[in-house]
Amino acid sequence: MNSFSEFAESLLGGDLFERDEPLKGIRVLEVCSVVLGPATADILAEFGAEVIKFEAKRGDQMRYVTPFAYYWKNLSPGLLEQNHNKYWVGMHFGHPKARKIFYDFVRKSDVVIDNLTPGRLSKWGISYKQLREINPRIIQLHVSGFGSWGPFTGRTSYDAIAQSEGGLSYITGFEGRMPVKSGVWIADWITALMSALAIIAALNYREVSGEGQFIDYSQVENVTRFMDWTWLYVHVTGNNRERSGNRDPAICPSDLFKCKDGWIAITAFSEEEFEGLCKAMDRGDLFEKYRDPIKRLKDENARFILSEIARWSEEKTMEEIENLADQYGFSASRVIDVEDVYFSRHFNERKAVQEYDDPLYGKLVEPAYPPRMETPSRLKWGARPLGFDNEHVLSRILGMSMEEIERLYEEGVIYRWDENIPAQCPPEDWDGKRGLKYP
Amino acid sequence: MDEKIIGMAIDPEYAKFVYSLTNPDEVHGKPEALSGNVVLDLSYGSFAGLYASSLLAELGAEVIRVEPPEGDIARKMTPYGIMIKDAGLAYITEGRNKYHVTLNLESEEGRSLFRRLASKADIIIETFKPGYMDSLGIGYRQLSKMNSRLIYCAIHSYGQFGEDSIKHRNQTNSDLTDQARGVIMSVTGEPELDPDVPEEYKKPLRHGSWMGWYVGGAFAALGMLIALFYRHRTGKGQFIDMAPSEGLMAIANYLMQYFHMSGKKMVRAGNFDYAVFPYTYVKSKDGYVFISGFTDPNWTAVCEIMNRPDLRERFPTIRERLTPENQPVIQREIEKFTSQHTSEELLKIVMEYSRKPDRKGTVVTGRLNSPREVIETEHHKVRKTFVKIKDPHYGELLLPNSTLRFMSKTPGRIKWACRPVGADNELIYGKYLGISGEKLKELREKGVI
Repeated sequence: MNSFSEFAESLLGGDLFERDEPLKGIRVLEVCSVVLGPATADILAEFGAEVIKFEAKRGDQMRYVTPFAYYWKNLSPGLLEQNHNKYWVGMHFGHPKARKIFYDFVRKSDVVIDNLTPGRLSKWGISYKQLREINPRIIQLHVSGFGSWGPFTGRTSYDAIAQSEGGLSYITGFEGRMPVKSGVWIADWITALMSALAIIAALNYREVSGEGQFIDYSQVENVTRFMDWTWLYVHVTGNNRERSGNRDPAICPSDLFKCKDGWIAITAFSEEEFEGLCKAMDRGDLFEKYRDPIKRLKDENARFILSEIARWSEEKTMEEIENLADQYGFSASRVIDVEDVYFSRHFNERKAVQEYDDPLYGKLVEPAYPPRMETPSRLKWGARPLGFDNEHVLSRILGMSMEEIERLYEEGVIYRWDENIPAQCPPEDWDGKRGLKYP
Repeated sequence: MDEKIIGMAIDPEYAKFVYSLTNPDEVHGKPEALSGNVVLDLSYGSFAGLYASSLLAELGAEVIRVEPPEGDIARKMTPYGIMIKDAGLAYITEGRNKYHVTLNLESEEGRSLFRRLASKADIIIETFKPGYMDSLGIGYRQLSKMNSRLIYCAIHSYGQFGEDSIKHRNQTNSDLTDQARGVIMSVTGEPELDPDVPEEYKKPLRHGSWMGWYVGGAFAALGMLIALFYRHRTGKGQFIDMAPSEGLMAIANYLMQYFHMSGKKMVRAGNFDYAVFPYTYVKSKDGYVFISGFTDPNWTAVCEIMNRPDLRERFPTIRERLTPENQPVIQREIEKFTSQHTSEELLKIVMEYSRKPDRKGTVVTGRLNSPREVIETEHHKVRKTFVKIKDPHYGELLLPNSTLRFMSKTPGRIKWACRPVGADNELIYGKYLGISGEKLKELREKGVI
């Protein structure tokens, strides 16, 4: 009876490492820090691209951003979250020799990503103007808060700047209460997602045309694109879109309700779904009166219907309501948290959560990017100490000898972790070998 | 104009150079990244599917929306029931560049037409209950046999396999379910540990917009583009299974990493942040502003700007600044300063400080804009973040532009806004299946289209 599910599992389940990596052979140079830029490259890396991450002397900012200043084996969980399968190089871009080395990499690469202040790279002589001369097939993406031109270009942006300047925070929060930031750095992540998408679109175009291109992407604008009907509503009514808590003003009923043992999200919009919910509630009268979805959306009707559901759900458990949704064909789910997902058989067998054995840190369990595909995303290793893969990368890709590499260290062109800054270092029990990728 | 292009750029020449590559007025003369690709979008009641196909359509794919004869229920998902003719405001926003046909998949004749279309398609998107298409004999299992290059993307809240998918396969997809299952909602909302928050507001909160659907749609589009790239190199199509909640949980910061390492869970922090602080919204004279100064040098800079060296002394390292007890205190102290100024004044004060040679660190601030303020921002006008379109059917509209329009060779774009139910039946059935005139009329009378 579950034959479709079995069919889907036969295509998508099982050992990920038996399946092809779709971006295999694509080399990406990451000149990024914090969340947005590194997450863009991370998406490509999990789908099989080879990402070389360049870090400045101080290291990626996320080495120092971690909840309650917590570290595990000298690793910041904030650094790990968007850094997988990458090769880590510490290089001082202000040094003239670094520029030449970077040009050599560009000759042998497909994509360059940076999220520094617009124009910083051009000051180092590695703007698209130069890079396209060196490699016309190169795809270069620059992502920043406000884009590379326009009245606000050059302004520093963080995730919360984009959430607030873009209008998302204004519409998030309870009715009559103050605006609320997302529980995560949502603007960074959704912009990383779209930046990765733009790069893959450009890779597709390169397959048919042979040409690379430059992509400029803006975080604040990207947030506005994830706000559905907001803009047309403002335009048509002249009103602002105000906060409405968990109630969806465009779908009724769709809200979060209190049960005996927690919170449950219920949605039932089409006539058929709403009929199912009313049957589950034994409220044929509600269905008769509010059969039409558009009629339900009228503010006073919506408030009435939602209050009736709230009265009903108070007497039920979350599981009872979920079962009724399964039976009657509407939508209901409890709010699940990270622990639920971590231990969920469902998400583990789907490889939405993956366990892997990192050579440097041991067992790690983390989410991997969707969608689930026949050419799936996978986690191979996590974040690394500063400059951890210098020798491996410089010798394998640029063919440098160990003597040349030694000289670069002496001249301050490249460097590895500072022993006095634990957040840059390997775990304390490191044996000097574990996890190193020598040629 | 130059001044508007250069803005506050650190390298004006760079700003002008990028403008010359990505001038939005030249978009329509340039090629499209996905031209020649045919997409059948069967989404039903799901803006995950509709946003995914919008992205492909902005990039130049020929997207054909296949709706049941009465139209997609998503047309009725509109704030307070506001409709413009047969479509709501959300649907019109995601109708861009798409052709609209109708087809009754519940009829044998409808399915046979669909098979013929599918054999010519590159991509299919659907959002039905898992296994529905398969049970009709037109799922990936059957279609891939006639079209091995087909990329088939199924989007549903519970995914296409796994124990929850089997258990809940009779549930419809919804944004709120996606958000509820996506982990982020469990940590979004007013701060659990702030004594000033009334109990009734201490509960999970969804993002104001359809974040489950839009994140799900973007990941689905990403997957389809990856599959297209893989097909370029191998000739093979594939099956894609997108559960939007898995998109949200994959972007839920360090929550799982931290849980794995420490065994601990984060609690709802509201506008506080237990990994970076100050990094918060504070009251200004005219609304709210964001302000940050996290690292020691940046925090010193915040204190200098406010002329509050005592605060620096009191909360000297991140260890003091990251506790749930201290954050409300720091917040209130900052607000004593910010509430004396408008958000524009604050931006000016911070910008001036950032140009001082003896500045101690970087402080970042920005206004918490209402949507109407966003639309009126000069920056967005210059960059054409929103476009006004006079649509022959739906009238004068304002739509968020394609954010992919700054691709120098193949910019994303909006060509038209939306189409009525079945408006392109004649064009599409004629173009791909040679069905027109009498034959089309006959199908219409039989309720097939």
